[in-house]
Amino acid sequence: MQGHRMNRRYFLKVSGAAAAVAGTGLEGILATGRAPAWAQGTKLHIVRWVDFIKEADVELKRQAPEASKALGAEVVFEFINFNDLQPRITAAIQSGAGADIIMMLYNWPHLYASGVVDVSDIAEPIGKAQNGYYDVFQATARVGGKWLAVPHGVVGNAVAYRRSWHNEIGAKEFPKTWDEWREVGKKLKAKGKPVGQALGHSAGDPPTFSYPLLWSFGGAEVDKSGKKVVINSKETLESVKFMQAFWNDACDEGGAAWDDTNNNRAFHAGEISATLNGASIYIVAKRTKDKIKDERGEPMFQDIEHAALLPKGPAGQFALYVPFQHAIMKYSKNQKLAKDFLKWLHAKENYEKWFQVNEGYNVGPTKVWEEHAMWSKVDKPLQVFRQAVRQSRMLGYPGPASAKTTEAYTKYIIVDMYAKAVTGTKAEDAVQWADGELKKIYEKA
Amino acid sequence: MKNSVIGGAGGAARVEVALPHPGATQHRALTRFLENERLLATLLLAPTVALLGLFIAYPFVMGVWLSLSSTSVGNPGTFVGLQNFVRAWNDSIFRTAFWNTSVYTFWATIFKLTLGMWLALLLNRHFRGKRLVRASMLLPFIVPTVLSTFAWRWMFDPTFSVLNWTLYQTGIITTKLPFLSDGTWALSCAILINTWRGMPFFAITLLAGLQTINPDLHEAASLDGANGWKRFWHVTWPLLKPVTIVVVVFSVIQTFSDFQLIYVLTGGGPANSTHLLATYAYQIGVATGLLGEGAAISLFMLPVLFIVVWIQLRYLRRLEGA
Amino acid sequence: MLIERRWKKWVYFYIPLTLFVIGTLFPFYWMAVTAFRPDHELYRSWRAVNNTPFWTLNPTLAHFQDLMAKTTFPRWLWNTFFIAVVSTAISLFCGLLAGYALARLRFPLAGMLGTSIFVTYLVPPTLLFIPLADIIRNFQLGNTPWALILTYPTFLIPFCTWLLMGYFKTIPRELEECARIDGATRFGAMVRIIFPIAVPGILSAGIFAFTLSWNEFIYALVFLFSPERKTVPVGVVSELIRGDIYFWGQLMAGALLGSVPVALVYSFFVEYYVTGLTGSVKG
Repeated sequence: MQGHRMNRRYFLKVSGAAAAVAGTGLEGILATGRAPAWAQGTKLHIVRWVDFIKEADVELKRQAPEASKALGAEVVFEFINFNDLQPRITAAIQSGAGADIIMMLYNWPHLYASGVVDVSDIAEPIGKAQNGYYDVFQATARVGGKWLAVPHGVVGNAVAYRRSWHNEIGAKEFPKTWDEWREVGKKLKAKGKPVGQALGHSAGDPPTFSYPLLWSFGGAEVDKSGKKVVINSKETLESVKFMQAFWNDACDEGGAAWDDTNNNRAFHAGEISATLNGASIYIVAKRTKDKIKDERGEPMFQDIEHAALLPKGPAGQFALYVPFQHAIMKYSKNQKLAKDFLKWLHAKENYEKWFQVNEGYNVGPTKVWEEHAMWSKVDKPLQVFRQAVRQSRMLGYPGPASAKTTEAYTKYIIVDMYAKAVTGTKAEDAVQWADGELKKIYEKA
Repeated sequence: MKNSVIGGAGGAARVEVALPHPGATQHRALTRFLENERLLATLLLAPTVALLGLFIAYPFVMGVWLSLSSTSVGNPGTFVGLQNFVRAWNDSIFRTAFWNTSVYTFWATIFKLTLGMWLALLLNRHFRGKRLVRASMLLPFIVPTVLSTFAWRWMFDPTFSVLNWTLYQTGIITTKLPFLSDGTWALSCAILINTWRGMPFFAITLLAGLQTINPDLHEAASLDGANGWKRFWHVTWPLLKPVTIVVVVFSVIQTFSDFQLIYVLTGGGPANSTHLLATYAYQIGVATGLLGEGAAISLFMLPVLFIVVWIQLRYLRRLEGA
Repeated sequence: MLIERRWKKWVYFYIPLTLFVIGTLFPFYWMAVTAFRPDHELYRSWRAVNNTPFWTLNPTLAHFQDLMAKTTFPRWLWNTFFIAVVSTAISLFCGLLAGYALARLRFPLAGMLGTSIFVTYLVPPTLLFIPLADIIRNFQLGNTPWALILTYPTFLIPFCTWLLMGYFKTIPRELEECARIDGATRFGAMVRIIFPIAVPGILSAGIFAFTLSWNEFIYALVFLFSPERKTVPVGVVSELIRGDIYFWGQLMAGALLGSVPVALVYSFFVEYYVTGLTGSVKG
């Protein structure tokens, strides 16, 4: 009798162990239908920015327990201000402790390359399965041929403007070139409704305006090799001079002190007629339509239109979107768990829910999301974000995006070049200044 | 021989006059005392030395090493000598930050001193509600700086500023004042807020100093025919100088290394016009991850502070010696 | 004669005092109005009609409620209070002992030690916090209140020491001499005679230390990151600015709640504070 029982117990023990061994990883989960056994109390800590669309964060928080169940460990999201992301990453890497996964914007993976884990084994399959990543991610998340972060999405931007006001002064379509916009803006400013643009020290709106402005006039930080600083050029000077004139004629001068939130508030308060922003102005206006009304008492979102790209300059039309990706930190003790989580997050049924809540503010990292059914249902003004990512360039264009371009961006050199010019510095001096600063970054050993 | 001061406010670092110990019979006891003193002193100073040693001295040395290396986030650096310092000195943003910090500290200190002194003189009188007023004057100092700076930021907001609204409604201005959008205005606003916040510290400390001044001296002076201003200049001010200098020293140190106010108010903008050394060091070291360069920028503060403080303390010692 | 003196009193006393009070307290009034103002009034254009920036006819407690219920603000208040109290206690303890030693005892290196304690005050926090992050990590204190409780005394002790040193110097030596003649040890005399007399100075230093800890930002920003561990300054800045929106109503409510209680406590102690400072500045 005893032998029997022991045999049975022994059998159960062995089969249980076998199941546990096979149970790690997503393959394991699918094989056994049971969550794997991580150490008791394992927590996966993910740090992301506070989304401008708060429902997106709500959706992520909602997904957390599902992910926890699927992975067998507790998944915790923490949302911080995007301007605090970089300090947080630095503190975490330096002290060797902190969140397991941290969101990285632009091409930050280059800057933090030595502190993150190679995730090519996760990123490649996702890209292949979803019609390929956008080119911009090759610049941002891929360092030395390896994927150092898993692309997650792109925050597009476009010029949000008040349709009725523009119609009033005869601009039925949004101005196509910079000079046209200047004229339109001039007329609107005379009516007390200037263009609003942020040029302060903030990570979102100021760079996404300044860099494309520079590129559209033919200026650039560096040449194709990324080694020579070429900002001190006729084209750059043109763009700066234009900006000075545009600022005086058409813009709200307070913009030099604006961060990423001021233009949203000013637009919603009916203070400005147009501004470059993500889709948040429209979406927030729509979702709080009883609070945000225009001067006639109507919900304002009905009057908001988007122009897909910034106006054309002599050298073409450019955009700088904000791609973001998730990096797994090298100090993390839960790297395998983190990789599984990212796989789970990008599984179609999970990602799609988050994607839909965003309504175009955050778009997917791969081309397959352009075809999603959601696009046929969103409001017309939001349609512009559908394929816009294809046009986005990256910091340092036309040179490669490297840690140095990130340094230049964090120091706000391009933004400040324009900010200086519009707050009293001569155009030539502003360009000279930027030249000096960039040289120190790009040409140092 | 008493060591206390009659009728005046002294300074903190006076040399002690030793009490004469009577007789040689206490020679043995004296030795015991001295022995005890050293042991006791070591004991008493141990916790302080331990804490400060571990959490300031050691990190300071590490910080200095950082500044002499090319460390960046995640990459332990190599020794590069004074390269970071040279780079900082050649960096125009650094020079701007240095200049801003000096201007900011200079003007804020002057305003705080003048207004603080004035307020202290006012509060030194007796009037109804004296206690309440004194307590409420401390409020700007008590409120966490970030929170009060937010309130000010809201008051200076480019779009919704209440100050602009008031001035506009009363017809004084026709367009918005660029409180935070113009470089010079922004720095002036920062100085204003710093003055607002720091003046109570000056006022209360100077008030304490004023209260140590014997009123008889004022009586005597006014009997001699001196009016208010003369009395202040010739009686009050000399006696108040030591306290003033100490307060100024502490204030200068705090203001020169100020971080919170600018970080919350403008983040260093517009176009670096309000960047201070501390905020720039933070931006370079932490935000950009160039730890070596950030440490070098922070270290630049040290010699300046040292010189300023040394000069003032020398002056203080001279005052006390006289 | 009487009229002239009255006029003088008004011009030289009442008016300036009133101006000071208004100038100092206006921002608090503003904070209060914003904290009680409903959202739809907060974001109106400055040129809108019926704009009443100085008062609101629809006061609401919504911001306070949201602050207490939807954020971890009460937790932050507690954290900040706990950290401030313990840091102050540690600093006072060290400052008392060190201040006495430097003021009263003679021993080699006294001058140098005194100066070096003061010099540590000059070291800027922006230099220290990266190396400190390493130390904190080695002791595994990251993200705990102890990281702050042990680092705050670094800037509190020098000031407490100076304050108490000055205070001690005003206390006549005879008191200790008498006690020692009566058989007390130096240490006993210090604790039983000197410290009680120095209570105003201790209160003064304590209040000052508490204020500085309550107010500290950069170390708290770098060493704490979980929302429930944060202190009030860091929590408010990082949690009440969500992406696009500054929750001004809640921010100001937080500012009020984060300062008024402390101010109330201070109003009881302010006389002690002044007396304490008086003693120390005399020395």
